[in-house]
Amino acid sequence: MNIDITGSRILFETPIELPFLGRLYISETLVVSWIVMILITGLCIWLTHDLKVTNISKRQAVAEMLVEMANKFVVGNMGSKFAYMIPFVGTLFATSLVSNLISLTGLRSPTADLSVEAAWAVIVFILITKQKIKAGGIGGYLKGFTTPIFVMTPFNILSELATPVSMACRHFGNILSGVVINTLIYGALSVASAKLFGLLPGIIGNFLSKIPFLSVGIPAITSLYFDWFSGCMQAFIFCMLTVMYIKNADEG
Amino acid sequence: MHQDLVTIIPWNFVATICNLFIQMYLIKRFLFKPINNMLQKRKELADAEIQEAVKAKEEALAMKNEYEHSISEAREKAGEIVASAQKTASLQSEEILRDAARQANAMKAKAESDIAQEKRKAVNEIKNEIGDLAVEIAGKVIEREINEEDHTKLIDEFIANVGDVS
Repeated sequence: MNIDITGSRILFETPIELPFLGRLYISETLVVSWIVMILITGLCIWLTHDLKVTNISKRQAVAEMLVEMANKFVVGNMGSKFAYMIPFVGTLFATSLVSNLISLTGLRSPTADLSVEAAWAVIVFILITKQKIKAGGIGGYLKGFTTPIFVMTPFNILSELATPVSMACRHFGNILSGVVINTLIYGALSVASAKLFGLLPGIIGNFLSKIPFLSVGIPAITSLYFDWFSGCMQAFIFCMLTVMYIKNADEG
Repeated sequence: MHQDLVTIIPWNFVATICNLFIQMYLIKRFLFKPINNMLQKRKELADAEIQEAVKAKEEALAMKNEYEHSISEAREKAGEIVASAQKTASLQSEEILRDAARQANAMKAKAESDIAQEKRKAVNEIKNEIGDLAVEIAGKVIEREINEEDHTKLIDEFIANVGDVS
């Protein structure tokens, strides 16, 4: 039995071709990330329709709690000066979380594609750099690379670039590991199940061995870690790092 | 057809950036804006209620002061009324007493003058009677001729003596 672990499936090939960007393929990543966007937006609309000032519904209490949590997370870690970052960090968290958890439905997570995390990390990197320049001026920012001594400049530049790379790879690696392990477990269990039921004699054995009975149950336990825990954790870590890096950039 | 497992597809990269900002706008528009508006409204409502409560308390305090003021005023007035009543009563009683004393004095004076008049009347009567008696007695005792002049002189002397004696 062969197990293929590949990137996301390319569903549709468009004739559009631009320099640098290459040919536009509509891949599973894009389609599922649209689904994620629709889910999040739909959830927001559902949560916030029919808002009341007093005597609120449970739905509204949840919506308020989410907003309060986002406020507390950003303002608590960065100070009220960065209150404008609340929607960005909230969006990053929600998108990452839903993208990670959507693999539970059998769809391929958009976050199992390095392009997605790389895009997020680059945006965060731009924000960090912007904050650094804002805090120390462009001269101060450039001068920061030569500390503590001039010889350290290449290493400082490397470590600066390492920030987005490590953020993207950390998130991507954790999600990809879930995909790989799940694929392996499903493959292994279907082989085991075929062998086990193949022991039965005659046509019954032939028929039953085609159905991977053992695939029911055990992957649910592994997905508890690889999808639920890892998915929530990585979304949280990514946002926490974003918040911390930008805060540090502001402090110098 | 599949993408490579670990690769960065430029289109996906650009699309993800766009998606993130679109998603940010949508979350802002559909979650943060309505909820923050609502929270703001609730805060305003709470503030308004607190202000109302403060106002009501102030009003209650003002009312209390007013009531206390009017109660103390009433108490003062009652005291004044009682005091003035007492004063009037004592004045009246004094006047009554004075009237009574005056009347008594007047009555006493009148009685005294009456007595004096009666006394004078009685004295005059007695004088006359004594005069007559004296004339009679003298006529009888002396039984001699006496001229009218001596007679009257004698009587007058007598009377004067009687008056002196009395």
